[in-house]
Amino acid sequence: MTTAPPHSALNALVAAISQVLLGKEHQVRLALACLLARGHLLIEDLPGVGKTTLAEALARSFGLAFKRVSFTSDLLPADLTGVNVFDPASGHFHFQSGPLFSQVLLADEINRASPRTQSALLEAMAAGRVSVDGTSHPLPQPFLVIATQNGLDQGGTSPLPESQLDRFLMRLSLGFPERQAERALLQGLARRPEAIAQQLTPEDLLQLQARTACQHVSEALLDYLLDLLQRSRDGQRRGAPLSPRAGLGLLAAARAWSLLEGRDHVLPDDVQAVLAPVCEHRLDGGQPGGGGLSHDLRTGVDGLR
Amino acid sequence: MGLLGLGLAGLQPSLLLGGLAIGLGVLTTLKLLEARSLEEHRLVGLLQLVGCGVVAALRPDLGPSLLLATATLVALSGLLALELGEGLAWPVLLRRSAQVLAAALPVTLVLFLLLPRLGPITPMPGDRGASAATGLSDRLDPGSIAALATRHDPAARVAFSGGQPPPPGERYWRVLVHDRFDGRAWSSGTPLPRHPDDPRQPPRSSASPTENGQLWLVEPSGLAAVPWNGWGRPLSRELLPDPGGELLHRGPPGQRRAYALGEGDGTARWQRQPPLPGDLLLPEGANPRLEALGARWAQLGSDGARLQAAGTWFRSQPFRYSLEPGLLPSRAPLDTFLFERRLGFCGHYASAFTALMRSAGVPARVVSGYRGGSWVRPLGGVPYLDLRQSDAHAWSQVWLQGRGWVEVDPTAWVAEAQTGQGTRGERGALVWLQQQWWGLDIAWTRLWLGFDREGQESLVRRLLGAHLNWLGALLVAAVATSLALGLGLLGWLARGQGSDPWRRERDSLLRALARHGLTPEPGDTLAQVAARGGQRWPALAQELEHVVALYQRHWFAPRPADARRPSLERRQLGELRRSRRQLQRQLGRLAGRLKPGCLSRLIGVRRVD
Repeated sequence: MTTAPPHSALNALVAAISQVLLGKEHQVRLALACLLARGHLLIEDLPGVGKTTLAEALARSFGLAFKRVSFTSDLLPADLTGVNVFDPASGHFHFQSGPLFSQVLLADEINRASPRTQSALLEAMAAGRVSVDGTSHPLPQPFLVIATQNGLDQGGTSPLPESQLDRFLMRLSLGFPERQAERALLQGLARRPEAIAQQLTPEDLLQLQARTACQHVSEALLDYLLDLLQRSRDGQRRGAPLSPRAGLGLLAAARAWSLLEGRDHVLPDDVQAVLAPVCEHRLDGGQPGGGGLSHDLRTGVDGLR
Repeated sequence: MGLLGLGLAGLQPSLLLGGLAIGLGVLTTLKLLEARSLEEHRLVGLLQLVGCGVVAALRPDLGPSLLLATATLVALSGLLALELGEGLAWPVLLRRSAQVLAAALPVTLVLFLLLPRLGPITPMPGDRGASAATGLSDRLDPGSIAALATRHDPAARVAFSGGQPPPPGERYWRVLVHDRFDGRAWSSGTPLPRHPDDPRQPPRSSASPTENGQLWLVEPSGLAAVPWNGWGRPLSRELLPDPGGELLHRGPPGQRRAYALGEGDGTARWQRQPPLPGDLLLPEGANPRLEALGARWAQLGSDGARLQAAGTWFRSQPFRYSLEPGLLPSRAPLDTFLFERRLGFCGHYASAFTALMRSAGVPARVVSGYRGGSWVRPLGGVPYLDLRQSDAHAWSQVWLQGRGWVEVDPTAWVAEAQTGQGTRGERGALVWLQQQWWGLDIAWTRLWLGFDREGQESLVRRLLGAHLNWLGALLVAAVATSLALGLGLLGWLARGQGSDPWRRERDSLLRALARHGLTPEPGDTLAQVAARGGQRWPALAQELEHVVALYQRHWFAPRPADARRPSLERRQLGELRRSRRQLQRQLGRLAGRLKPGCLSRLIGVRRVD
């Protein structure tokens, strides 16, 4: 990694990716924060808004291995993890790793796969390893899953249950580009993901992840965080209560955001910046139409600290 | 800031009201000039408080009380600023001082209710009338007055417990009794010797002055005597009825006096006090025609018949009432008035009538006082009768065998119209304001005067029955309880305030922003508030951000855990406070308003630390 402060390197990276994914800097920063917080990302959006581009650009800028799997209803867990294949030459089985063994995995249309396959993926996401036939195979580090699902097209799908949604650190929606950005896109001003130069190394990313975990969190900030969690559980508001895992995720994401902001400590502002992407899908339990739940949560807790 | 507080307390005009307090105020203010150390400033602050206490004991009236409450608050704030060292904002100091005062209220109440009262300290004035500063003078010489100017200065106010004034015909309140006549002018003689059994204290009963009583507030007059209708039973300790018929007040005549009268029982001592030979004295040959007329009436059988003859005679002559009668000659002035000019005001009639009565052999004397007045009903407070200097009046007392002293108003015989109720067509906002103030003033006076020694003693009797020697123990217990109550109140108030100085800085900032119309949305963080402030006042964006960053650094940034931390935090708090104040000043300048902090620059006072 360069000797420059981490946030300037990260901002340069965000700028580079933003040249590929036009007008989506905020989402790029959130995705990057998710990566720094060692979390996984769920993008709920229509096809063709740049999900793949984002995943690929992120992977390339860190020099990470990138794979893409389109989930279908007949996709089996083994198609993801890989299988033990008999090698007649040596007379031994050896493990033929699946697409899961990459560093950035784009799981397209994750809700089209069977629940069994989904849960195999999620297990890998949570544990960081894959067990095949009793043998445990560690996944490469860093490891980021970017899953997408099409919120509008629900025919023949198996929506992720709440317990599995909870394993995604953030849920984002890229949305349509703004007019200016789309004009630039149409003019061909957007760069191809392949054109992105590697900015940082995978080792840098591991270092940054370690650094993120060390961002200072004061008692006052914990109070704010606890108030938010408590508020989600007081039973007087809509939405599911936030789990302790959600609290951990919120803290990790806020830490990553504070690093992106160039600070060595976390502010309530950082928590608020990541509150919606981290908590909205946990609050609405994956049900559509629950919008604004995290906003209610935010306004229900005094932020003037 | 401490200097400023003490300086202001020293400048309070109410401190200059009493002789003792003048000295204290001047000395402490001078001391302030040379005070250098914290101890000296503290001493000055304590002396200011003592001064406030002394003056408050001397002047329980409404106006001085309000002024003194303010002075005490300011002095206390100064003291508080000294003790706390590193300055707090003025409003915080004042609020805290008010809380301290509120906490002292229970103790004050207990002491007010239970602590035995001391009698008046001022000695009884020896002479009955000093120099005349009002419409009343101890020397009554109507012949020397060519024209009587009508003065509307306030003389006295009286409230009646029934809420209704007496009928106009009974509104006579005498102040002075003039029993010496030199042929032209009337003056007061020497005080009568008191009876050995004459009690120094007026008889008291358990009746409070608020029932069937009158409450008087008399403006400074320079006279020891105060208005009295002759019947009301004196309830205040300072009052002493004189056998000559005057009501004397022990309070300093140069100050406003307040006293209460109960309902009379019709056996006033002055009325039965037999006349002295001096009450018949008339300079031989000073007014020969008057003496001749009097001698004619002396032939009549009884005092009553002589009085009646005089009344008939006065009504039959063409007398006219006038405030501009012109000077009377120095030779036989009353003859000139009675038989030639027949033009005069109350002084002329009272003087001439009394002289006539004396020449007819009826003991008589002139009294002066107030009559009439206008009834005022203020919005708040208590309705009262407003007596002005223009209500000053003179009439007569005659001694009738078997009836004692009887009051006669000869002016009423000749000028019926003038003896009616005095109504003044005064209008205007100032007059109205003054009436409201006086109404409150009387209500306040009734509050503390109504609970005078008698009320207190009856309360103590009710509480303790016969065990009066338990009073001390009760007092101690009550003071201890109320002290605990006060301290508890103080703690409770402090809890609501939040004792963390950083939070107070934040709250000050938010209040300042709110004053200028920027209130945080629910859930907003300080940075978001600052950002919105920056949008509204672009010139202040940086400062706002800076102040918020300073505050957030304290709460959220990693802090050194070593010994440097306390001093570092103090410095950072100071930095935050300075930045916040500067920001507030800039805000104020933007809004074009005078903000706190301008005052100290105006006076040029430096901080103590």
